[in-house]
Amino acid sequence: MSYILRRLVLMLPVAFLVTVGVFMLIHLSPGDPALIILGEDRNPEAIAQVHQELGLDKPLYAQYLIWVGHIIHGDWGRSITTHEPVWNAITDRLPATLELGIAALLWSLVVAIPLGTIAAVRRGSAADRIATGVSVAGVSVPNFFIGIVLIYVLSVSARIFPFGGYVPITQDPWESLRHVILPAIALGTAGTAINMRFTRSSMIEVLNHDYIRTARAKGASWRRVVFVHALKNALIPVVTIVGLQIGGIIEGAVVTETVFTWPGVGRLAVESIFNRDYTVVQGVVLLAAFSYMLANLAVDLVYGWLDPRISYA
Amino acid sequence: MRRVALGFILVMLAAACGGGGGGGNGGGGTPKNGGTATIALESELHTLDPMDSSLLVEREVFYNMYDSLFTIDSSLAIKPGLVKTWDTSDPLNYKFTLQSGVKYHDGTPFNGASVKANIERYKTGATSRRKSDLSSVKSVEVTDDTHVIFHLGKPDSTLLATLVDRAGMMLSLDAVSKGGQNFSLAPAGAGSGPFEFVEWKRNDHLTLKKNPSYWRSGLPYLDGVTYRAIPDVNAILAALKTGDIDIARVIASKDVASLKTDSNFIYKDVPAIGFNGFELNAGTSPFNDPAKRQAVALAIDRYAILKDIQFNIGVVAYGPIPPSSWAFDSSEKIYDHADASKAKSTATGFTFTYKTTSDPVNQQLAQLMQSELSAAGITMQIQTEEFATYQQECANHQFQACGVSWSGRIDPDGNIYAWWHTGGSFNDSLYSNPQVDQWLEDARTTADQAKRKQDYDNAQKQIVQDAPYVFTTFGVSAQISDTKIHGFTLYPDLMIRMAEVWKS
Repeated sequence: MSYILRRLVLMLPVAFLVTVGVFMLIHLSPGDPALIILGEDRNPEAIAQVHQELGLDKPLYAQYLIWVGHIIHGDWGRSITTHEPVWNAITDRLPATLELGIAALLWSLVVAIPLGTIAAVRRGSAADRIATGVSVAGVSVPNFFIGIVLIYVLSVSARIFPFGGYVPITQDPWESLRHVILPAIALGTAGTAINMRFTRSSMIEVLNHDYIRTARAKGASWRRVVFVHALKNALIPVVTIVGLQIGGIIEGAVVTETVFTWPGVGRLAVESIFNRDYTVVQGVVLLAAFSYMLANLAVDLVYGWLDPRISYA
Repeated sequence: MRRVALGFILVMLAAACGGGGGGGNGGGGTPKNGGTATIALESELHTLDPMDSSLLVEREVFYNMYDSLFTIDSSLAIKPGLVKTWDTSDPLNYKFTLQSGVKYHDGTPFNGASVKANIERYKTGATSRRKSDLSSVKSVEVTDDTHVIFHLGKPDSTLLATLVDRAGMMLSLDAVSKGGQNFSLAPAGAGSGPFEFVEWKRNDHLTLKKNPSYWRSGLPYLDGVTYRAIPDVNAILAALKTGDIDIARVIASKDVASLKTDSNFIYKDVPAIGFNGFELNAGTSPFNDPAKRQAVALAIDRYAILKDIQFNIGVVAYGPIPPSSWAFDSSEKIYDHADASKAKSTATGFTFTYKTTSDPVNQQLAQLMQSELSAAGITMQIQTEEFATYQQECANHQFQACGVSWSGRIDPDGNIYAWWHTGGSFNDSLYSNPQVDQWLEDARTTADQAKRKQDYDNAQKQIVQDAPYVFTTFGVSAQISDTKIHGFTLYPDLMIRMAEVWKS
C-alpha cells in the first residue's frame, strides 16, 4: 500500500513537467486559433476580439498559470472552437475509445497468445514460419491500409459490416459489435503481431528452464506443462507490453478513428491540433499522460501476481 | 481560408449534368411524406449558433433549422423569407413587412420585436462574428408586430443578400437565454425552420426532426435529417455506396465519372459562386513588380488545370465574379490560354516560392503550375506547410505566392471588396489601386443594378490586368445522392436546403 502511495506521489513532478511540455509545444507551434475560428469571416477587429476572448493577448506565462490554476481546481476549461467544456469533450468520447481499444486488445490477445505459444512449442515447423510471417506482415502494414482494405472488401463490396460510425454498447449490443469489429481488427493487428512475437520468444526461453524439465520428469503432461507451468511465466514480458498498450488506449487510435469515423478521443485530439484548440489538446495530452503512468503502476503490480519472486516491500 | 482544400475539392466535382441514368430525381413523381435522410458533412461543426459561426458546413445545417429574413432562388435572385415584402426605395431606411403567424420551435412568436432583438444581438454580442456583416445597420425600428424599418448609417446595396445568410437568421431569444453557455452546442427550440434540433453528438452525428407546424404549409416532407461528419472525401464516397449516407456535398473529382455511370446514384451540378486560384504578394519582391505578376498570369494554363487536376469539373475562371452571378462579365478574357512566349517577353528569369498544403490535389496542382511556369523561364519553388501555419503566413502577408480559394458570396461585393479594396480583410496580396477602391465603393452604395454591374466590370478588368491574384477555375455546386432522393434543388451557394426534399 505504501508502495502505491509512494508511486502516486512520484507522479506529481512528472505531471508538472507534462503540463509545461504540452503547453509550450502547442502554444509555440505556428498558427493562430483566431484565424481558424474566424475562417472566411476574418477581419482585424474580429481577430483582436477573439484574441481577447481567449486570453491570447496575455503573456505566455500568465496563460500557463491561469490554465494550471484552473486544472488544479478541477476546471479543465472550455474548447476554444466549440465552447464545449473540455472535460465533457473528453469524457463524451471516452466510451467509444475504450470500446474500440478493448476490442482491439482482445483481438490481439486472443490471436497472439495461442499463435505465439504454438510457434514456440513447434519451433522451426511450418506453423512457426507461417505465424512469424503473419506477424511480420501485421507489424509492417500500416493500420490505415488494413482499415481501407477491410472497408472496401467487407463493407463496400460484401456489405457485411456497416461503414464506420459508432453505436454505444449500452444502446444496442449487437449493432455495437457489428460496428466495432472492422476498426478493432484494423487497430489490433499490429498489436497481435507484437504480442505474438513476445509470447513466442519468452515461451522459448521459459521452456528451456530447469523447472520445466523437472515438471516433465515428474510425469506432467506436455499440455499441462506448456499451458500451466510455462505460459504463466512466459507472459511477464507480454504483460509489460500490453500494459503500455492499455495506457495507449486513452489517447485513442488517431488514424483508425479517422478512417472509420469513430467518434473517439483520438479524432478529437487530431481535430483539436489542426484547429489549434489549445485547451482541448492540453486536456487530452494530460489525460493520456496520467493513463500511461497509472498503466505502468498497474503493470508493476501484476508482475507480483504473475511471479511471486517479484515483490515490492 | 479554411475553404482552400474545400473549395478545391468542390471544383473537382464533375461538370456535366445528368445523374448517370439514376433517374427519379428532381420534381419527378408526387412528393411523399416520411422517411429520414442522412447527409455527410466534410468537417465537424464548431457551433450551432449563427452569431459565432464561421464555417460553411455550419451554414449548411443552419438553413434547415433557422429561417432567414430573405432567401434566394436557384438563380440567386432575392426572394421572400421571414420578410414577406420590402421597400428599399429610401437607401437609408429599408421597410420590411414580416410573415405573420410564424412561431419558433419553442412556441414563442416571431415578430418585429424579435427581429430587432436578433439584429441587436448580432451587432453587440461579445462573441459575435456578424458585426462586420451588419456594420451598415444603425438601428431597427419596430413599427408593429409585422413591420420593421432598418435604419442604415450609409447606403448598402449588399444588405438584402447579407440577410439571406447568418446575419439574417432569426432565433427565439427565449431559447437562447434558456440555453445559456451551452446554447451553441444544443440550440433546442431556437429556430423556426423546417427541422428542429434534437441532439448533437460531436464527431458522430447531428439529428434534426420535422417541424410539424412549419409556416410553409405542407413542408417539410421528411420526418428528419441526420448529419454525419466524415472528414475524408474517400470515406464519404464509401459511406454513400454502403448506404450509410443518402446525400453528400463533395466527393473527390476522380470518383465523379464512375459515380455518374452507376445507376444507383445521382450526380448533378450547377456553377457555384466561389473562385479558385492563387495570390501574388504585391507588397514584396518579386511580385511588387506588376510585370512579373502578369508574366505568371500569362504562363498558367487554366485549361490544363481544369482538365488534369479537376477532371473537367467546373469552368475556367477569368476573374472573381462567376457565371452564376448577375454581375458576370463574359467579355473579360484578359488571360485565357497560356502563352509562354508572351509571358517571357513580359518578364522572365525570376524565382518565387508558392505556399500550399499537403493535400494531394494541391500538390499535383503545384507541380503542374511549376512545369507550366518553367516553360516561360520562371522558377516556382513549392513550399508545403501544415494548414494552420500556411493560413497564418498567408493572412499575415508572409508569402510570395499562396494558393487560396474562396467559397463565394451571393452578392458580387462579397467576392471582390474584401479581397482587393485597399486594406480589405482578405487583401493578403497588399494590392492597392485608388481607382479600383472607388469603383468598389460606388458599387456598394448604388441601388441601380446596371450601374453596379458597370462598376464591377471596370474593377474586375483592372484587378485581373494587375494580377494580384491569378484566377484559374470556378467550381460547381453538386447533388450527390442515391436515387431515393427527390425534389432536390441545386443552389449556386453550395447549401443543401432540405425542406422540399422527399424520399421514395
